[in-house]
Amino acid sequence: MEWYEALALLLGTIIFLMAIGMPVALAFLAANIIGAWVFMGGERGVAQLLNNGLGALTKYALVPIPLFLLMGEIFFHTGLGGRMFNAIDKLLGRLPGRLSYVTVLGGTAFSTLSGSSMGSTALLGSLMVPEMSRRGYQSHMSIGPILGTGGLAIIIPPSALAVLLATLAQIDVAALLIAGVVPGLILASFYIATIWLQTRMNPDAAPAYDVEPMSLGRKLGLLVTEVVPMVGVMVVIIVLMIRGFVTPSEAAAFGALGVLILAALFRCLTWESMRKSVVGALRVTLMAYLIVFGSATFSQLLAFSGASRGLVNWATSFDLAPLAMLGVMFAVLLLLGMFMEQISIMLLTVPIFFPLANTLGFDPIWFGLIMLLSLEISFTTPPFGLLLFVMKGVAPPGTTMREIYTSAFPFIGCSLLLVALLVAFPQLALWLPSL
Amino acid sequence: MIAVTRAYSALLYAMAVVAGATLVWLMVSVIVSVLMRNLGLQPFAWLFTSAEYGLLYMTMLGAPWLVREKGHVHIELVTAALPARLRRGLSRLVAAACVAVCVILTWKGADLFLTNIERGDYDVRAYYFPRWLLTIAFPLSFGLMAVEFARFVFGAELMHTGEAGIHE
Amino acid sequence: EDTLSAVHAFPETLIYTKSFLSFVDKVNAAGEGVVRIDVRGGPEAIGMFQQPDAVRDGIVDMVYTPGSFYAGVLPEKDALVASNLTAVETRENGGIALIDQVHQEKMGVKYLGWFDSGVCYNLWTRNEPTFDANGNLEVEGLKLRGNAVYNAFFTNYLGAQVIDLPTGEVYSALQRGVVDATGWTQIGLIDLKWNEFLNYRIEPCFFSTDLGVIINLDKWNSLSDESKKVLQDVAIQHEKDSVAALRAKRDEDFAALEAAGMKVVSLEGEAKANYLAAAREKTWERMKSVMAEQPGGTGNYDKLIELFYDLDAAK
Ligand code: NA
Ligand code: NA
Repeated sequence: MEWYEALALLLGTIIFLMAIGMPVALAFLAANIIGAWVFMGGERGVAQLLNNGLGALTKYALVPIPLFLLMGEIFFHTGLGGRMFNAIDKLLGRLPGRLSYVTVLGGTAFSTLSGSSMGSTALLGSLMVPEMSRRGYQSHMSIGPILGTGGLAIIIPPSALAVLLATLAQIDVAALLIAGVVPGLILASFYIATIWLQTRMNPDAAPAYDVEPMSLGRKLGLLVTEVVPMVGVMVVIIVLMIRGFVTPSEAAAFGALGVLILAALFRCLTWESMRKSVVGALRVTLMAYLIVFGSATFSQLLAFSGASRGLVNWATSFDLAPLAMLGVMFAVLLLLGMFMEQISIMLLTVPIFFPLANTLGFDPIWFGLIMLLSLEISFTTPPFGLLLFVMKGVAPPGTTMREIYTSAFPFIGCSLLLVALLVAFPQLALWLPSL
Repeated sequence: MIAVTRAYSALLYAMAVVAGATLVWLMVSVIVSVLMRNLGLQPFAWLFTSAEYGLLYMTMLGAPWLVREKGHVHIELVTAALPARLRRGLSRLVAAACVAVCVILTWKGADLFLTNIERGDYDVRAYYFPRWLLTIAFPLSFGLMAVEFARFVFGAELMHTGEAGIHE
Repeated sequence: EDTLSAVHAFPETLIYTKSFLSFVDKVNAAGEGVVRIDVRGGPEAIGMFQQPDAVRDGIVDMVYTPGSFYAGVLPEKDALVASNLTAVETRENGGIALIDQVHQEKMGVKYLGWFDSGVCYNLWTRNEPTFDANGNLEVEGLKLRGNAVYNAFFTNYLGAQVIDLPTGEVYSALQRGVVDATGWTQIGLIDLKWNEFLNYRIEPCFFSTDLGVIINLDKWNSLSDESKKVLQDVAIQHEKDSVAALRAKRDEDFAALEAAGMKVVSLEGEAKANYLAAAREKTWERMKSVMAEQPGGTGNYDKLIELFYDLDAAK
């Protein structure tokens, strides 16, 4: 079978099954059964598929996600979240969309703690979305910024994905990590501008209620009693991580522990809130991990059948100008990113793209950062970006997939704008590492 | 019959409870191993390994319960656009396809489990762990998922709502 | 023309994978019109720990992987892990033939060749290592990263506090001081960039890499005699070539590390002998105990040790 036939068979199956409403995880499993039957020699291929799924799921790198979810759920169900957001509402006065800004700022800060966009989206989603919709924010004002900042986690150090990319591509790890700092901050500022535009264009997007004026002393009091403790938990964990007490993967467990301790101190920890938190975290984890189970094997089938390798080789076989070639590579990454898991994409494309980038005269650090950005974008690109499903899991009942898709678009636009900026001004990425 | 249904439901919820307990265990195992390391003790390697295996047990044991809860995300495009009668038909057809997928995976999962026992396969990480203890989760999980999806084929309740445009 | 599908355990950019790919090129050149190897990819095509089962079940015909990835089925791989010989001598003395026979019996796969042998492991540390009055390495206070391959040695003999970390997490763990020492092969440290944090290499080196090519036995038996001959001949040649190539690469890496400030400290005399003896004996103990539980028992144990370890060379 030619690579494009294999590609058409695998992608066609998955798109068809999802379109008729098969649960996403089951659609992956069904496509895997068909793919294993065709490419792995019949029924024994299906047993191999289960083995592969087992391998993909029992990885320590996946441990933080349920724990970040647990942290967010405890925060919400114990009422700590409500208290903190009440305080922020009062402190920020009448600024429209204030919690959306808080999301971006918090998400950017949180990116320095987390190296995983799924973990980041899980935490912010479970932390912010229920509370914001309770306060009358339209869903795109909460979902959009979270999907956006989720991706910051892999650009702003620490980032496990950046370390892996640098190792595979044999480029300077520290330089790639540092190169992400300035673009990450620029991206965060684009998000802020987007929120400002959205509240200007549609004043109903965020609740506009009056806040009673408050004395500076009362504001300070609120800040210290309601905001500082929670922010303190985050700060403590970041410090523990920098001091080498915990690795980035282990930080989530201490985050959850920190919120538990906080809830106990504030006397709002009950068995009922604990049960609800575990059930909430469990629901989203199960949904996401069965998709991981299916999609990891789907990635492997795309590679094993020669479909993705064929696509990459074909796309890079044209003799184009450097900029056009960059566009082609970017498009391939986005396309693969819609269906494949990020590490598999890197394993597959790095050996082909980096030598090519080298002959085209691209700076490898700069190119590595563009690659990370494309992976980040594809993680939130409809219809299959995994973060979208995680978001669906944490969003309040009744949130439609379309609402999630349309919320994501403006923030994907920001990332694309950043890529364009990086192409025009490579120094945005390269200046900091050169110091 | 009622006794069987009850016992089945009890199993389904018991599995979900184990999945929830596993999630809590993930947190405990990480915290204990970090504390041990920083106290200058050698963390038990099984803390690390049990967290990795826990991810599999959690996902597999909880998945059938999530089918009952309609928690596995799906996209309603076609089902929302169709007239009610066709939509109901398609919804039951999709559920039937899910049953087929789960039945195949139950069958091959049981195959894999028996092969692992017969060959005496081990999963080698920090310890030599009998592989069948892991793969037994597959026939159990997909078997129960098949039953749960079958309820959407034959039962009163449908998997898809199809309400008011695109909806989940 | 016979065609074999193949996958490799490690990413394409790793030195060991490049070695395997050059073997494939040699087979495809020498076997033109007779036999061809069709490489389907690395861990992105089949997960690295699932590859041994995949070749056993005939999903893929050929796999290039460390024996340690299927240690549960074939504890005899520890003979290679503990070896101080290379594929060249063990091909000559019948060691590889015995390993091939065990692979066929226990796993239903043909062991075609032991590639990239002659590379051993060192301990690498951030701070200057210290020694006790008898010249033994002091491991107290070392935050040592370990894994399943060397834990028998690190834990049971050195009594070290081993921290199990996946390879991908080691860089950031070193950066933050979660670990400050690790075992690793003589080559590859620069590729992983761990040399940014590690400053000392402790000699002597111990163990050996155990990378080999295995082929599904039914597939192997279905090949024409001509194909088998091409595969086997090229494999034996590559066993030799890869030893030489990796030795050259090791010297190159060592020189580069030294130029960048890596210091070498060595155990001496009795302490050195004890260190090496522990590395091999703890590993053999593990091999024996797992073999004892399997059909066939420990029948091959003494033979394996005789063929894969040169006691005189260790003195
Ligand atoms: Na980060
Ligand atoms: Na994706």
